[in-house]
Amino acid sequence: MPGFFPGVLATLSGADTQGKNSALVIFFSDPRTLPMTNASAPIRKKSPGFGLGLRPVHYPDFLREPQPVEWLEIISENYMVPGGKPMAMLDAILERYPVAMHGVSLSIGSTDGLDTRYLAELKALARHAQPLWISDHLCWTGVQGRNAHDLLPLPYSEEALRLVVRHVEQVQDFLGQRILLENVSSYLDYRSSEMSEWEFLRRVAEQADCLLLLDVNNIYVSSINHGFNARAFLEHLPAQRVQQIHLAGHSDHGDYIVDTHDHPVAEPVWSLYREACMMFGDVATMIERDDHIPELNELIAELDRARAIAAEARRALEAVA
Amino acid sequence: MKTLALNNLQVAFHEHLLNGSPAIAQEVVSGGRIDVDHRLHIYHNAYRVRLQENLQDAFEKTWAYLGDETFAASALAFLEENPPQHRNLRWHGANFPQWLANRFPDDLDIAELATIDWQLRHAFDGPNADPLAPAKLAELTAGQWETVGFRFAPTLFLAPLRYNTVSIWHALDQEQTPPAAETLLEPSWLLIWRKGWQPHFRTIHAIEQAALSQLHAGASFAKVCAALSEQYSDQLTTQMIGASLRTWLEDELIVGLTSVPRSTDQSAREPA
Repeated sequence: MPGFFPGVLATLSGADTQGKNSALVIFFSDPRTLPMTNASAPIRKKSPGFGLGLRPVHYPDFLREPQPVEWLEIISENYMVPGGKPMAMLDAILERYPVAMHGVSLSIGSTDGLDTRYLAELKALARHAQPLWISDHLCWTGVQGRNAHDLLPLPYSEEALRLVVRHVEQVQDFLGQRILLENVSSYLDYRSSEMSEWEFLRRVAEQADCLLLLDVNNIYVSSINHGFNARAFLEHLPAQRVQQIHLAGHSDHGDYIVDTHDHPVAEPVWSLYREACMMFGDVATMIERDDHIPELNELIAELDRARAIAAEARRALEAVA
Repeated sequence: MKTLALNNLQVAFHEHLLNGSPAIAQEVVSGGRIDVDHRLHIYHNAYRVRLQENLQDAFEKTWAYLGDETFAASALAFLEENPPQHRNLRWHGANFPQWLANRFPDDLDIAELATIDWQLRHAFDGPNADPLAPAKLAELTAGQWETVGFRFAPTLFLAPLRYNTVSIWHALDQEQTPPAAETLLEPSWLLIWRKGWQPHFRTIHAIEQAALSQLHAGASFAKVCAALSEQYSDQLTTQMIGASLRTWLEDELIVGLTSVPRSTDQSAREPA
């Protein structure tokens, strides 16, 4: 990896502690005792380890006996219902596993503004579930009171940046905690974009003081669809704000790739994940599967591969140290 | 060329999703391996696929009844007139049964089947309430029986049935050819609720429906018995209401007791 090790050395010698390699500073320190500027607590929480997205088809597996996952991610909206089996299953899961909440409808970038009813329901669920953290996507899902139920891309413009930062601050004030924003897959670029996606993501995170959920598959999908360097994306992110990583499969259509979550994680995504591990250290990692959902064992085997890659990256970094 | 402000861009994009309006195209960077139209089509198509799949999921039996082609055409036409407005996709389709009634006015069995689909889903994740322990009734004094009323499961849904939709539902559930739609000869009602974590439904006839409707509306048990005994012998009334009460308790339909003030009771709804 030409270009990477010089960065490591520069970081270790203190020449670049604020720049793109600041991830390594995090890694070489114990996150629990990491001295931050102004002596505040670390921005991101210590990684709980490796998890899976909870899907109803796997309820019996998770409830029958302890499964080798350290945590689970729930889709918030699936439990923003009055009661019944979903809530009963959630309660049973909460007794056994730490849970992170992942939403799809916050629509943080919509010019409609925030939906206070949605936020109140989200907060009520958070009060109930006491999640590790709450995440959603850096996107918009609708406008003029209508919802597309899709993760639509924002232009990377100063105007969009101001709007998103304001909304994130409002959401965090309301929820009383930092949220995580996830980079989405996208299939088009706007002429009104004034910066790269990674710069937009970084500036949102830093200006709004929020955390990041890095979807490594989405970075890969978008890198193919837009022809950018996926590694450059990773290098420009504020490492200390990367709280969680998503891995997932996609559908390759030849000329473009669609983020479908219906296949195993693809090889180039595993390679990119290894790079992410080298840059960001121990980050809570999980696999998302939303269609053609296999037996739980199959997903756990995939997760074991993530564990192995993360462990290998840790050893490589320790060897350098 | 000037670009749109964010709000206008989002409106143009959303219009493209809804009806293919082309204004957004000039906001999209051209070049790369696929052209702008193709890029926009990915979103335009995904919107339909996602929402159509959601309706298939919510109206599983209606989908099987209509078949892929008719259901898809109906779902897309419905979507065009009813773009989702709620943040949670769970609630999209609430008015699909009524919409189907308007679309197929000569085949109202379709709308009736869709109502069963929707209400079963509603019962699935509706509010919780602990069922009443039968022993609680045994504890009532004779005086309390004079004013006692019942609270019912919040998932309870009661509606008249006009067609043999329940037979159609069961055939579809067994993946068998459904019987031809027929108008029911006797009035019948559909009762849907959740027992434990499982949605249930059954048909009920006029007497049980009358009693259940009045009790659900807040009438006292005594008043309902009195109303029934005006139509039937005391012995038959006791038998019928006793059997119904036992079934309601076993089905976990009753979740609490109330004391109905006499003044309120007088205004309770008369039997249908």
